[in-house]
Amino acid sequence: MTAEPAVSQRPSAPRRSTRTGTGPAARTRKSVLWHASAIAALLILLYPVGWLISASFKPADEVLANLSLLPHHATADGYRQVFSGVAGYSVWHYFGNSLLVSAGAVAGNVLSCSLAAYAFARLHFRGRGPLFGFVIATIMLPQHAVLIPQYILFQKMGLVNTFWPLILPKFLAVDAFFVFLMVQFIRTLPRELDEAATLDGCGPLRVFRHIILPLLRPALITTAILTFIWTWNDFLSQLVYLNDASKFTVPLALQIFIDQTGQSAYGPMLALSVLALVPIGLFFLAFQRFLLEGAAGSGLKG
Amino acid sequence: MPRAGRSRAVRRTALCLAAVLGLTGTLATACGSSSSGSGGPVSIRFVWWGNADRAKATNDAVAAFEKANPSITVHTEYASYDAYFEKLATQVAGGASPDLIQLDRATLGEYQQKGVLLPLDSYIGKTLHTSGLSPLLLASGRISGSQYAIPGGQTTQMLVYDKTLWSRAGVTPPANGWTWAQFATMSEAVGKATGIPGSTDFGWAIDWFEVYLAEHGKHLYTSDGKLGFTADDLAAFWNLTATIRSADGLSKPTATTKMDGSTANSALVTKQAASEINYDSNLTGYLSSYNGGTLAEAPLPSDNATVSGLAAMPPVSFAVSKRSAHPDAAIKLLDFLTNDPGAGAILGTTRGMPPNLSIRASVCANATSSTKAVCSYEDSVKSIVGPSFGNWPTGSAAIKRDFQQIYDDVIFGRTSVSAAAARVVGDAQQTLSQP
Amino acid sequence: MTSPATLRAAGASDNEPGAANPSRGRRAGGRRPRSSRRRGEGRAAWLLLTPWTAGALLLTIGPAAVSLYLSFTDYNLFDPPHWIGLRNYTAMFTRDPRYWDAVRVTARYVVLVVPIKLALALAVALLLNRKRRGQGFYRSAFYAPSLLGASVAVALVWRALFSTGGTVDHLLSDIGIHTGGWIDQPQYALYTLVLLGAWQFGAPMVIFLAGLKQIPGDLYEAAAIDGAGPIRRFWSVTVPMLSPVLLFNLVLETIHAFQAFTGAFIVSSGRGGPGDSTLFYTLYLYQRGFTDFRMGYASAMAWVLLLALGALTLVLFGTARRWVFYAGQERA
Repeated sequence: MTAEPAVSQRPSAPRRSTRTGTGPAARTRKSVLWHASAIAALLILLYPVGWLISASFKPADEVLANLSLLPHHATADGYRQVFSGVAGYSVWHYFGNSLLVSAGAVAGNVLSCSLAAYAFARLHFRGRGPLFGFVIATIMLPQHAVLIPQYILFQKMGLVNTFWPLILPKFLAVDAFFVFLMVQFIRTLPRELDEAATLDGCGPLRVFRHIILPLLRPALITTAILTFIWTWNDFLSQLVYLNDASKFTVPLALQIFIDQTGQSAYGPMLALSVLALVPIGLFFLAFQRFLLEGAAGSGLKG
Repeated sequence: MPRAGRSRAVRRTALCLAAVLGLTGTLATACGSSSSGSGGPVSIRFVWWGNADRAKATNDAVAAFEKANPSITVHTEYASYDAYFEKLATQVAGGASPDLIQLDRATLGEYQQKGVLLPLDSYIGKTLHTSGLSPLLLASGRISGSQYAIPGGQTTQMLVYDKTLWSRAGVTPPANGWTWAQFATMSEAVGKATGIPGSTDFGWAIDWFEVYLAEHGKHLYTSDGKLGFTADDLAAFWNLTATIRSADGLSKPTATTKMDGSTANSALVTKQAASEINYDSNLTGYLSSYNGGTLAEAPLPSDNATVSGLAAMPPVSFAVSKRSAHPDAAIKLLDFLTNDPGAGAILGTTRGMPPNLSIRASVCANATSSTKAVCSYEDSVKSIVGPSFGNWPTGSAAIKRDFQQIYDDVIFGRTSVSAAAARVVGDAQQTLSQP
Repeated sequence: MTSPATLRAAGASDNEPGAANPSRGRRAGGRRPRSSRRRGEGRAAWLLLTPWTAGALLLTIGPAAVSLYLSFTDYNLFDPPHWIGLRNYTAMFTRDPRYWDAVRVTARYVVLVVPIKLALALAVALLLNRKRRGQGFYRSAFYAPSLLGASVAVALVWRALFSTGGTVDHLLSDIGIHTGGWIDQPQYALYTLVLLGAWQFGAPMVIFLAGLKQIPGDLYEAAAIDGAGPIRRFWSVTVPMLSPVLLFNLVLETIHAFQAFTGAFIVSSGRGGPGDSTLFYTLYLYQRGFTDFRMGYASAMAWVLLLALGALTLVLFGTARRWVFYAGQERA
């Protein structure tokens, strides 16, 4: 399999050194070039993030007036204010609430969307086509249009001012985005796998559990990452369903600092924004690794 | 597992799941929404918008109320301005209206007209006392002959200016009773001398147009909810700003377009103008965000010797929901917040000048730094401040927004003043004619 | 060379010698009858879809049906709705110039943001797809803008960067382009939102990464054996194998772009200015529904958007037949 008839045998030198830029020196040069351009691109891309972090160290009279990157008189006042509590609760309290809601959403989405996606992608049943079209159609209705009817539903169920309206829908595969995502991923897997398992006597559920699910790891990880981050940053649902400050999540805590008609506290708001990046940044850093491991190959290797 | 048995198991599981879901749904609905007690301890919801300072002060005041009234529990909720109204609309539509609600001018008229608010007349003099309130201010809560809201504070229009920049232009700081012509001359002089336009272009806000109309004996809206001005009135106003703007007396369009009354988007704070018209309840915000100069305050100009254009306006008002299960408790809380000296001291000037005159006197007597500036300004214009302007009817929010958007077209040269004024009036009449 | 047909064959026969290899058709006699298998599948499908069905009925179909009904009423959030037929729709199309402004602004936004965002996401995903030192760091770094979401903090940063006198203004002036600030002028404000949208390309990037990872390495090796260079390999292996994911990203990003709200809301302070140049469709919908309390009208706007998006998606799926390849041999 590795024989290359076109290239003559060379005793010691690397195989295709006749082609430019494949020796070790060239590889290092290429690598350096790659790293340099990546870092250059990142500098531009992350400039706004840098501005945000630097602005969190600006005093109140500089935040709006000083448009340059660095503060004239740096201060950690914003952070101090944030750590001394927001609306009577500590920062960790809000982080905890956000974590709870986000983790619940991740569990719900990963579980329910994969099940639904498998049914749509692999199983034949009456009405599959139209129903799948329906799945996609649900993504198209703007959130504001269904906000009030949904609110009324949860209001009648007595679930307002709890975390349930934020987590329960995720267990019901309401996020059609991820259903569709997983359907597309499942469709890239050859049917031979299913058929092999079926011939061995597996029913659809076992095929799902033993064949599809392991191969779906990149999609599941993607779902987990995106759900976590989007739920963490989701403002509208959390605003509408959470009333007590004790249940506030990070986006709600952030807007406590802002008041258009009065005096906004930009220092703590920026500080909290920067701090809020840390958990989701860590989450991403931890999970993105799994996007690569264990997914190599098509899985037909037994 | 044999095939038949497996499919039976599948069917059983499916049925079980469906049953569980159905049962849960029924139970949940049967349990119903939050309890409304009968007699005994009572629980009410009080909502407002504002920043952290206002939230802390209000919560402290509410705690004092609960201490004085152990049988009443108050659940408080607050959010930033936009989020607040989004949420309030959802809650009211969803049948979960709070008991005591904070509203502003546009929303007060709206909610009153939609029948959401409880008329307070039967409670006044008994559990709700308004005798200590400034009569100029109290009128703001009166709509169609009934009192629907109690003002939560008082604010007045003001011009806040950078003393350093204005003196560099050698112009006399504005005194009581100056005219628009004097204002124009001075702003242009500041613009020429410092390179920074003398004032923020004030044509964007329907609020300042209202001041202009008052000086000419007119109103934005008539008492029966119709438009109170013509296209000519508006054209005169916008031609005034156009003249000053062309001589660099008013801020450039790129600065004006960002204005929304907040300090974040203020042309003055971002050094694109040397003064700005705003309500004095925002003064503390200006004082804390402005750097590189000293700020001072002055009343607005007026060409009318008897009408200054200044009015006692409520930055916020409090109203009670008609569907409240415990209106008495809500009104008790309202009365406490308005008239109790302890509550007044706690609330301070987080919602502008306290509406109760004796509380206002004591708060101002103990005022420090920026609060003192507001108090002294209010004191200096006491004699020329008129009663609150009339109620804004349904549709006023859309009209306000349209007003600003069309002014954007004017300042960026995309339309003429007369065409723009006609469009504002046309759109406004269309909006007001809808139920 | 490596056409989709070849790929199909390659994928199908690409089994390691050691693995059990019940290839197609060999044991046809041992299969269950097709109808019975289908019945079993059908039952399993409905079982698996129980949560989805419950969610769909309660939280999607129900509210959507209510919103459709409301679009034919004069619902103002407070009074009971009264049926007014098509009045909302006719008012929208014939008596509301701002509606068409919103449509135009949104269409311009979509046409700009979707290609840029997808191109960036794909390019970066391809670059990050290989095992390199510090790949975790790079992946997180490229994803970082998307971590911010669309919050008030981002609005502050964006306004600071794109205002007159801000960083972008200075940079452009230095190279001789004097546009002034972007965010405060009607002719440029939309571009700041396009940049904001494209800047946060992390989600499609991650999806592309996941899709790239699912491409069997054997296919690349097979192509290399056939003599394909890196460019050829990209077009013959990567693109076809990635095409389902590409379709997904294209459709979803288009839908999201049409529904863009928060960016415009926070950057323009809810107004859609300057001069309605950033008045996105859903922002205008929000203004009419929640600020003007004309919820019936807003619902009508929502349904027009849904129908338009539905039509657009059908078109996209229609073209997909030509360029999307499913290794699972399933049609779109």
